[in-house]
Amino acid sequence: MTIDRRAAALALAAAIAGGAATAEPITVYSPQGEERGIWIGEKAKEAGHDIQILTAGGSELFDRLLAERANPQADVVVGLIDASMATLKSEGLFAAYVPSWAEGLDAIYRDDADGMVHKFWQTPIVLAYNADAMSAEEAPDGWLDLIDPQYAGKYVIGSTAWQTTKSYLVGLLVRFMDENGEITDEGWDFMQTFYDNGIVVDSGDAKTAAFVNGEAVIDLNWFGGVGTFAEAVGYTPVMVDTEGGTPVISEGIAILAGTDQPEAAQAFVDWFGSPEFMAAYAEEFGQVPVHPEAIAMSPESVQANATLLTPQSIDWDAVAPSIDRWIQRIELEIK
Amino acid sequence: MNALLADFRRSPVQAALFVVVVWLAVSFIYGPIWSVLKFAFAPDGTPSFAALSELAASRRVQAAIWNTLAVTALSVVTVNLVGLFQVAVLEYLRVPGRGFLRLAYSTPLIFVSVAAATGYGFVYGETGALTRMLQAVWPDLPNDWFSGTFAVVFAHSFLLTSFHFLFLRAAIRRVDYATVEAARSLGAGNLRAFVQVVLPVLLPTIFATTLLVTYKSLGSFAVPAVLGGRRFDMVSELILTLNALRRPDMAAMLSIGLGAAVILCILAMQYVERRGSFVGGSKTPVPIERVRIAHPVTRSAVTALAYLVAAVQLVPIVLVVLFSFAPAKSIGTEVLPTVLTLKNYATVFSQDTAFVPLRNSIVMGVSAIAGGIVISLFVVSLAQRVRGPVSNALDLTFMIPWILPAPFIAIGLILAYDQPNPLVFGETLLGSYWILPIGYAVGAIPMMIRFLRASFLSLDPALGEAAQSLGAPAHYRFARITLPIVAPVIVLISGMTLNGLMSEYSMSAFLFNVNNKPLSIALFEGARSANPEQAAINMVYIVLIMAFSLVTITLADRYGLGSGQEKR
Repeated sequence: MTIDRRAAALALAAAIAGGAATAEPITVYSPQGEERGIWIGEKAKEAGHDIQILTAGGSELFDRLLAERANPQADVVVGLIDASMATLKSEGLFAAYVPSWAEGLDAIYRDDADGMVHKFWQTPIVLAYNADAMSAEEAPDGWLDLIDPQYAGKYVIGSTAWQTTKSYLVGLLVRFMDENGEITDEGWDFMQTFYDNGIVVDSGDAKTAAFVNGEAVIDLNWFGGVGTFAEAVGYTPVMVDTEGGTPVISEGIAILAGTDQPEAAQAFVDWFGSPEFMAAYAEEFGQVPVHPEAIAMSPESVQANATLLTPQSIDWDAVAPSIDRWIQRIELEIK
Repeated sequence: MNALLADFRRSPVQAALFVVVVWLAVSFIYGPIWSVLKFAFAPDGTPSFAALSELAASRRVQAAIWNTLAVTALSVVTVNLVGLFQVAVLEYLRVPGRGFLRLAYSTPLIFVSVAAATGYGFVYGETGALTRMLQAVWPDLPNDWFSGTFAVVFAHSFLLTSFHFLFLRAAIRRVDYATVEAARSLGAGNLRAFVQVVLPVLLPTIFATTLLVTYKSLGSFAVPAVLGGRRFDMVSELILTLNALRRPDMAAMLSIGLGAAVILCILAMQYVERRGSFVGGSKTPVPIERVRIAHPVTRSAVTALAYLVAAVQLVPIVLVVLFSFAPAKSIGTEVLPTVLTLKNYATVFSQDTAFVPLRNSIVMGVSAIAGGIVISLFVVSLAQRVRGPVSNALDLTFMIPWILPAPFIAIGLILAYDQPNPLVFGETLLGSYWILPIGYAVGAIPMMIRFLRASFLSLDPALGEAAQSLGAPAHYRFARITLPIVAPVIVLISGMTLNGLMSEYSMSAFLFNVNNKPLSIALFEGARSANPEQAAINMVYIVLIMAFSLVTITLADRYGLGSGQEKR
């Protein structure tokens, strides 16, 4: 049995379908699902980039990239969060490429040491509530309030394979970190209550269903997702500027070391992070870019959003090595 | 050994094939098993039971084991009740509309795995037609009423009766009616005659079907994954979760546990099979006749129950078929479609994203079958031609996957090939297109060997000897005598294997990737989607799978292969 995957797959595909693609598009892994992914695909095509986007949960993409490390399927990965990108880089998955838009970025969003991962968005992970069903007085003031019995069954905890879920879980746990970087028993007790008090789902549709039928009124979501989600369900969302701050994550883009089309991948990276496209995306979806030029070109509402919430300070590089262990414990002993 | 060497000297082609087949056995059977054992007991090279103690400490693992045992225990009871009732209705009692009932009761043969689970979800699930009908009557019924142990056991009860339909029906036909008449003349009623006279004769078969149900239920994967709902796992699902959590040691250990349970089942099954053949009756048995139920109330009740069971089995299928012809927007809004259209079928065959999973499943299924058949043919013919320890060992080696659950094999392949491995010339198979068809082939070969061995045994050795005395070399004899005779078996076994692979979920869930997403995974993802377009495409997939099953099973039945080894 030969393992010449492509040739054999093409031959078989041709035998079945009577034809096969000639020039391969570059494969982009991105957690930007649904309309966002489609919109990015359309705009990329208009700009002359031949791409194929694979969208999946951020953690699923992360797992997949690690699993495929010796046999990379992706050319570019875009939109994974700080901790994930840091791990992938340390595993040697990325090729160095400093995009044309790196100049002008804040140092924390650049990768001066390795020139591999560059950040383009910052995303607060927010706590929002359905203002049609809950008053401002009733709403929680911060994340730690959620375990209160009055919020039992009113918020939805998503799959830990989602970056958003992972981020707020880490954001909650680091509040209970001792001087050795370990989580205290109090922290794990909190997490158990947090899970027991919420609605635990594994799919986006199950989450939607919980809001549609009125059970859930508190949305734990990433900044840009809050509005879209509320619109889809049909309610007025209000974000809470939480006590203790909101976890903020930034998302990066990098080229896989194993790409067989480096030029096409580089061209895509240059285009994607460019202030023009970032501003266009901000206008379409309200996402806050990190590039100063892009912020300047963005709608005023987006510029205002950039300073709306108090960030929780999390040293992502320091917690990155522990996240796997924490999530395993949540999945196997708490969930 | 000497005979084998002599055979190779005569035919270098055979020798070369032998080397390839041994390499395949080492790479794809022993390699994965070794990896599972290594990761479970010595992940870092030194013996350790850390994985075991961590599994024991995990609340979720405990819950999954408990769920699996509870579901299995309950399923054994309910499946036997439903199955026995069906067989009694079809073969022991006179109930009107037998042809219709037989059709309804035979549906588990074509409505299997993830397709069936998706179909049940479509009817009983959160937005299902039946859920909405029930909510019209009881507004307080929660959306997720059909979930957890109840939903899985319910689905098992009506989906796992295929063994009863095939084997128990055959067994009841062997009951000597004279014994039933004797009991009745001594004053026993229908029920008593059935319980005290018919049932004891059926017991060995019931025991065998019980073990088959146990085996199926322990490894149940698609049904709990689709219907289990929030916070409900069974062991197979948890192995996948552990693998996703990057705990290969725990995944390997749990799959060993599942494997051990399955092996126990199979050993028990073989023991029963061996004992079952001693059950005899009179030398000249009177064929069984169906009895009329005298009491009108009992008769009506049995008839009503018979049709209720038929309805439970038919309604999901009828709704799936109807809605596959309905506009997507009518899904979730209408109880029965008011407009019929072929648009969904056109979408599946014209839109790339909808067609690709179908094509992937066919391409991978056909490749796995082609490879599997070649290997099985070689192994079986070698064992026939050259008897000895080497050919026996080879034969047994390829039968090993028969006793291993799919998650075990899949985890083994992942662990053995998630980095460059010299066994496959330094390639990494994980993430490649071919790892899934390899898994399919490993899983399919045991059944191929069983059927091919049976057909080889029925070959008249005189034909081969005659050809040999006329000077025909081995490969020529094989091509001109053996192959034409076993060809129909090959075609049938290929059809039946492809049929199984079209909705294969257990192996696929572990090994698929972006390049080769198969039909079963597309179905599973579609089942979780709220998008009606996706639901419509799912309906079409299920109908296509059922149609394909219907054709292969009808053909297999016609050629006497349908109920396979049990018919004898």
